[in-house]
Amino acid sequence: MPIRDEFTKGFWEILPPFRLVLGLCPTLAVTTTGINGIGMGLATTFVLVFSNFFVSLLRRLIPRQVRIASFIVIIASFVVIVELVMKAYFYQLSEFLGIFIPLIVVNCIILGRAEAFASRNNPILSLADGLGIGLGFTISLFVLGSIRELLGSGTLLGFHVMWSSFEPFTFMLKPPGAFVALGILLGLMNLISQYQARKGG
Amino acid sequence: MRDIVRMILVLTLIGAASGLTLSFVHRGTKERIEYQTIKFVKEPAVKKVLTGYDNDPILDRKKIGVGTDERGNPIELIIFPAKRQGQTFAVAIEGKGKGFGGLIGVMVGISKDGQLLDIGITSHSETPGVGSRVEEASFTDQFRGLSAKGALKADGISGATYSSKGVMSAVSQAIGYVANFREEIF
Repeated sequence: MPIRDEFTKGFWEILPPFRLVLGLCPTLAVTTTGINGIGMGLATTFVLVFSNFFVSLLRRLIPRQVRIASFIVIIASFVVIVELVMKAYFYQLSEFLGIFIPLIVVNCIILGRAEAFASRNNPILSLADGLGIGLGFTISLFVLGSIRELLGSGTLLGFHVMWSSFEPFTFMLKPPGAFVALGILLGLMNLISQYQARKGG
Repeated sequence: MRDIVRMILVLTLIGAASGLTLSFVHRGTKERIEYQTIKFVKEPAVKKVLTGYDNDPILDRKKIGVGTDERGNPIELIIFPAKRQGQTFAVAIEGKGKGFGGLIGVMVGISKDGQLLDIGITSHSETPGVGSRVEEASFTDQFRGLSAKGALKADGISGATYSSKGVMSAVSQAIGYVANFREEIF
């Protein structure tokens, strides 16, 4: 099943922030809580799914020389839609994510998928690809955000979960904490892959 | 040659389609965004400067035209009325004044008999820790009970003269609106 393969590859094989190490700017900047991670991830997923679909639909129409410009116009349109809709319905989240919503335009995951996948495959496969990568990105941001939230403020999705004498590491909420958390996650993922490779080989 | 025509055509079409879509989305979300901004940015200030009302000033807000800007677009003023038993006894109006780092927005509560009830800063880009001190109660409380008719008297914050003056001129602007559009406002 090619559709299923295109969909599931985004969850592990080419999981964007950890495997491709792409899209790090929003990954590091907004993941101070799990909810923020989900918000950013879903906004990116929406843009990715629709830009992939339209790029793929128009792939035979767009001349090679102006393809990047065309992709960016398509991507930017969906980013503006997300921005307006978020302001209208999730005002506080959009205030927090702030500049990182418009910056989805230059998120290299999205342009990367448009160029590497959607412009070479049919719309259905591109939809599956966009959805898979987008959800993989959302989950990664959620995991990273939750770890930082748990250690940095002792809460998970806004609920207190740590014991009462727990002293939060506020360091984890600061930018360096994002790098540390990302590094540890990357290391863990490599460890698992190595283990799998050894077991398989 | 054919290539160039095709490139121009495709890019133009994509741009036009994008512009068209966005204008529809903009129109569809405009009112809702305005409502959200009022709810999260203006509402706290309105609630601070008005007291003793039994209506919802946010829901009862109305707009009046107060002239045009330099491009000829109409300037709209949003009025938040405070009512008791259906009678408007005070309003909250936002005035703007030039501070040190840009425009300062000040919500001003003015009673029908021309008294300043209170002021609340809605937006500013003043220097943190210096000009931003105009938000503090020790500064804004001075405006309570002043007459909206005579000259405004308030002590500025030392080191933040421009910011203090910006707030003053924002308050004066709001007072000016009430003086000039009294019929429409009350």
